[in-house]
Order: sequence, then structure tokens, then C-alpha cells
Amino acid sequence: MSVKEIMDIIREKLGGIAEDIRYVESAGIIVRVKPVNLREASHIVHDVLDAYFRTMMAVDERPINNTFAAYYVYGLDDKGINIIIEAHADPYTPVLPSIADIVPAADWYELEAWDLLGIKFKNRKLHRFVLPDDWPEGLYPLRRDVDYTVRPSPRITYKPPLQGPRLPVGPYHPALHEPEYFELFVEGERVVDVEYNGFHVHRGIEKLAESPRFTYQKIPFLAERICGICGFVHSVAYTLSVENAAKIEVPERAQYIRSIVLEVERLHSHLLWLGVACHLLGYDAGFMHSWRIREKVMVLAELLTGSRKTYGINLVGGVRKDINMDKITAIRNTLAWLRSEFAKLADLVTSVPQIVRRARGTGILPRDEARKLSVVGPVARASGLDRDVRRDYPYCAYKDVSFRVPVYTEGDNLARVMVRVEEIFESMDIIDQLLDKLPGGPIMAEKMEVPAGLVGIGNVEAPRGEDIHIIITGRGRPYRWRVRAPTYQNIPALKVMLRDAPLADAPLTIASIDPCFSCTDRIVVIDLKTGKREKLQTVSIPGECGCEI
Amino acid sequence: MSLKKLLKPFKLISIAHKSGVVTVLYPYQKPLITTEFRGKISIDATKCMGCGACVNACPPNALTLSRRDDTIVLNYFIGRCIFCGRCAEVCPVGAITVTHEFELASASTRDLNESLVHRVEKCSGCGGGLGATSRMLQYVILRSPASENYVHLCPNCRKKKLIQSLAMKMGARTEDYEG
Repeated sequence: MSVKEIMDIIREKLGGIAEDIRYVESAGIIVRVKPVNLREASHIVHDVLDAYFRTMMAVDERPINNTFAAYYVYGLDDKGINIIIEAHADPYTPVLPSIADIVPAADWYELEAWDLLGIKFKNRKLHRFVLPDDWPEGLYPLRRDVDYTVRPSPRITYKPPLQGPRLPVGPYHPALHEPEYFELFVEGERVVDVEYNGFHVHRGIEKLAESPRFTYQKIPFLAERICGICGFVHSVAYTLSVENAAKIEVPERAQYIRSIVLEVERLHSHLLWLGVACHLLGYDAGFMHSWRIREKVMVLAELLTGSRKTYGINLVGGVRKDINMDKITAIRNTLAWLRSEFAKLADLVTSVPQIVRRARGTGILPRDEARKLSVVGPVARASGLDRDVRRDYPYCAYKDVSFRVPVYTEGDNLARVMVRVEEIFESMDIIDQLLDKLPGGPIMAEKMEVPAGLVGIGNVEAPRGEDIHIIITGRGRPYRWRVRAPTYQNIPALKVMLRDAPLADAPLTIASIDPCFSCTDRIVVIDLKTGKREKLQTVSIPGECGCEI
Repeated sequence: MSLKKLLKPFKLISIAHKSGVVTVLYPYQKPLITTEFRGKISIDATKCMGCGACVNACPPNALTLSRRDDTIVLNYFIGRCIFCGRCAEVCPVGAITVTHEFELASASTRDLNESLVHRVEKCSGCGGGLGATSRMLQYVILRSPASENYVHLCPNCRKKKLIQSLAMKMGARTEDYEG
């Protein structure tokens, strides 16, 4: 279906309430609506057109058009096109209607927009979400008039002392490997509710990128530091968004090199996760062998890029490091070794009773719940949602290769294990195909100019799911850069997975979304009958690093 | 079939036996870094001209340039370096090379700083600071030979010289001008 036909459908459905409908090649179909019509428009796009909710960007556009703007990005996966609903709020008392009841996935985005930009959402409970509790009221850090160097003195908050015996609960110490925090409410051994408290490693990267310290060519290195595991994904998503916005023609060879490195990164990330999952289930032998195999991938990554992690080869317009014949031979040799070694290990891991019995039927995420929350990546594919950015919104060189997207309908932990195991094999095939087709030529675009005021979307299928960056270009650096890591979309689904399940399965279930926050998960168990709180150190994910921006 | 299934976990023994010990006795054995590895940078003091191209490109501001009246100091703080090697890429004279060195831990931050001090040239007209090193001037002259006539002058003296030569063209005599 062409863009024109989709435009016609949108005109027919939304024509009555839209103020303006336009097509921007670098982003999608942008529909501007009045705030009063936002709920109706969201309902039509999300429920009638059946589009997934992808991300939302709130922007302080007061210097441009004296409003606060919110861009809700929906994706028609089967057509590979975005529908963006744009709404503008008053500059003095910015208020928008909440759509969290129509689009449950939008819940976090609204809280974040309230916290960082001070946009109020009507008819919903708003509370501190990203910012720490002692951040002063009324200071919204992402607003343009707040300088990036602002370091407010903490607000003194009075908390009534707890009644009864007090127990230490979950450390918030920033230096400890503990940036995420779940509270599980249990009745005996059964989990009845979950509360998530995150963003302990929020570093204000988006604000920093808007500061005069940065330029377009410096941000890829900053973006790469969003995540310690899938950093290259973020730098590619950033560069794609800028290149799309400014219509920079990236040479074919650079596209191929990016894709190869992205797949190498997926290999190492999935192998890491598989090892961690084995470790959690007490199958440490599987953990060690998975990491033994992974080590070769790390060495390969270093040979290709110059570094085991944070590759640093990406720039707007291309890549910095070329691949020569020696490297191609090295990749082929590693892949051949990896294929035979991993086949043996995968066969073993997916049949050992320690793993299969614990993973089957636990942490179930039903398909309709997954659809409601628009979950991404292996979590979505294990719950029967057939979505993969590499196929649906092709970028880099993925349009030139064929691969299978594994989809399971069970929605349990075993399905998520199987999706990742199969993806490892697919990744190896993709790299082989890319090497066969690798074109010659330059690796860096010659002409590079980024005009101000353009919108661009860059999306990449990270090992954990869809990673999407939106950019509004400015002079010399982005005016606004919105990053949405895959875990951001998947954590709300944990509530569904953990509820009414035995407590013993919780660690694996939390790890099964491959959360990209940090090294040690600590869970607080509150027994509803006795009201007793105890701290339970459960999951140890070595090497994982903070991914929530 | 069930026996085969039961015995499957024991396959690990053969896998483990085949792969053997894979860990290395670091640091007693050589660390496994590849030829492409990017470590700390080394700045060749005989080539560097203090232009600051690397400082503009450095994403984490590990390279900084401080200008004083008679010196330009290029400072490299390893503590901030992300080992991306952008500086080596943009250096116009190839003074920066990326080394394989990565064992950089130290008890004192002083060991993590490297400074390169350049002397600033004096203006041949008034003797004030020119804001450029002699290597920078040579670099400019090499690429644009016509600049040799005025490159040693500070902006003020250049203005004076221009006005002087314009006035001479218009027919003014040197005595008039100096008077």
C-alpha cells in the first residue's frame, strides 16, 4: 500500500478533527490535532487503524511557536509507516488530555513529560517519575530556559517516620549497581502486585546533547554510552535520525558495515543474556560455556571496530573503520566456529530439565496484553506479535538480506529463550549474506549539512527490541533529541507477567525481558498478611549497564 | 528415546573437555588484544603545532587547549579519554597516533595528565603576542605562499600595513603618512 492510499484512509478517518495532515519522508504522516481532539485521534489510530504505540516526544517549542508540543508516534508495522499525532499546549499552563486509558503504553511517557517539561495531563494521577524526590518543585529540566549546568540544591522533604519495626529497603546508592527497584507485594508465595521504581541512573543525556558542549558529530559517542550492552544500536539510531532528517546520502558500504557490526553486537548480547538466564536458574555450567563462546564474538568486535564495547566507529554520514579481506576472513572463521559450538550448546540448554521445567509456563504475557502495551523485541515475538524493525521499517542494509523472524505464541519464559536462541542463528546468517554482498566504495558521505527545524526518526532493532530516536534539528546540534530504549516499553509488561505467579519465578521473569538497567536487581518482598518487609538479593546480571536515559 | 534424553545433560562433559581451559593468566601471559585495539593516544611533540583541531573534535573534552599571552598549552587528561581516536583522524599534521597501551591505572591523577607547551610567536611589527605558534605560521605559508608577507603581523599591524599601502597607492608620500 502506498503512502498516498494510507493518507487517503487517514483523511477519511481523521479528516473531521485534524487541523493539518502532511507527509514528511524522514518521519511519517504527521497529523496535527487540537488538544480537545487528542483522545479521539489516539483512539482512531490505536484501535481502529491498529497501529502500535512507538514513542512520544514532548518538546518545549516556546522559542519557535510559543507552545509546548507533544508528538505521539504510532507505527503501522505491516506497512512500515509512522503516523505521528501532534498536539500543542498552552505555553503558560501546558495541559493535555491523558490518553493512558486508551493507549496503556503511553502511561510512562506522560509521567516523564510531566516530570521533565511540566506538561500536565488531565484526568490521571501524576507523580514524580524520573526526577529524584528531593528535586525542587516547578523546575522542569528539559525546558529550554533551564540551563544544562543547573544543579539545584535538594529540596528538604519531610517523611513521617515509619510505624513499627523498621527494616532497610533497597539501596538507592548511585555508586552501587542498583539503579532499578521492584516492590513485589506477596501473599505467602504468590505475587499479587508489582511496583516499579526506576530511573536511578537518569543522566540527562538528552539535555546534555542540546547543550553547546556538543555537536552533531560528537553525539554518536555520547549516544553509544546510553547502554553498555547495545551501545552501537543507540549510536546508529541517532545517526539514522539525523541522516533521515537532513537527507544525507550514506554510502552503501557504510550501511553494510553498520549492519554487520549491529549483528555482531546482537550475537554478543544474546549470548550474554543466555548465560545470565542459565546462571539464574542455577545452571552455571551453561552460563560459563555461553560466555566462553561470547568471548570470541567480543574479540571479533574488537578486530572490526577497535574496541570490545563502545565501538566508536559511527559518525553522521558513515563509519570510520573499513573492513578489509583479512577481517572478512576472520569474521567467516569466527562464524564457522561459533555455529558449531553454539549449536551444541543451544541443543543442550534447551533440553536440560533445570531450564525447561523452570521456564515453561512461567511469566506468561498473553498476546492481547502484549498488544495493549505495544511491547517490543523478543518479548513481543514470544507473545505472538510478529514485529521486527529490521523487516518492518528497513534501515541500513537489512533490505538486501533475507531472514526469518522467530515468533512463538506461548508468551512464557521458555518462548523468550527460544526466540533469542533462534535469533542467534539468524544473525549469523545475516552476517554471512552481508559479507557476500558487501559493495565497494567510500565509507563516509561527502556532503554533510544539517539544516535547522527538521524532524527525523531513526529506528533500530536492538537485541532487546525496537530502539527509536526522534530528532528535531537545530543549529549545530539537535534542538531536541528523544531516545526511547526498548526496556522502557517492556518494563510495564512485567506487571502482567509477575502477577499471580509464584515468587520463585520472579527473578527469571524479570530477567526474561533482558532488562537493560543494571548489574544487581534487588527485590523487596512485602508480605501483605504480616506487613513484614525483607530485602531479597536475587538477580545478578554481570556486565549489564544502565540503559534508562 | 528417554534414555537418550536422560543422558543429554552429560554431553556438557564432552563439550567442556574439548574446549579446555580458555582463561588466560593475565598479566603473566600477554593480554589478548587485537591489532586494531585503540588505547591511549600519544602526541608527537616534534610535529604538533598547537592548532586545536583535536580539541574541537574530542567528544569528552579530554583534550583541552589553554591560551595564555606567550604560551599555548595542549593538555591531555587520560581520565576523561574514551579512546575513540577522533583526534588522530582530524589532526592536520598527523602528530597524534593511537597506541595499544591500556594499562593506565595510577594512584595519582598527575600521571593521567600530559601537557604540551607551545611558545607563541611575537608580532614582527609591534612585538605583541601573535596567538599562533611558529609551526602554525609555517603550515599556513606552505599552503598559501602569498600569506608570507603578512602572516608574521598581528591583526592591528596588518590593518596598519594595509592602510599604509593603500595610501601609497593613492599617491601619499611616506613622510606625509608618518607626519
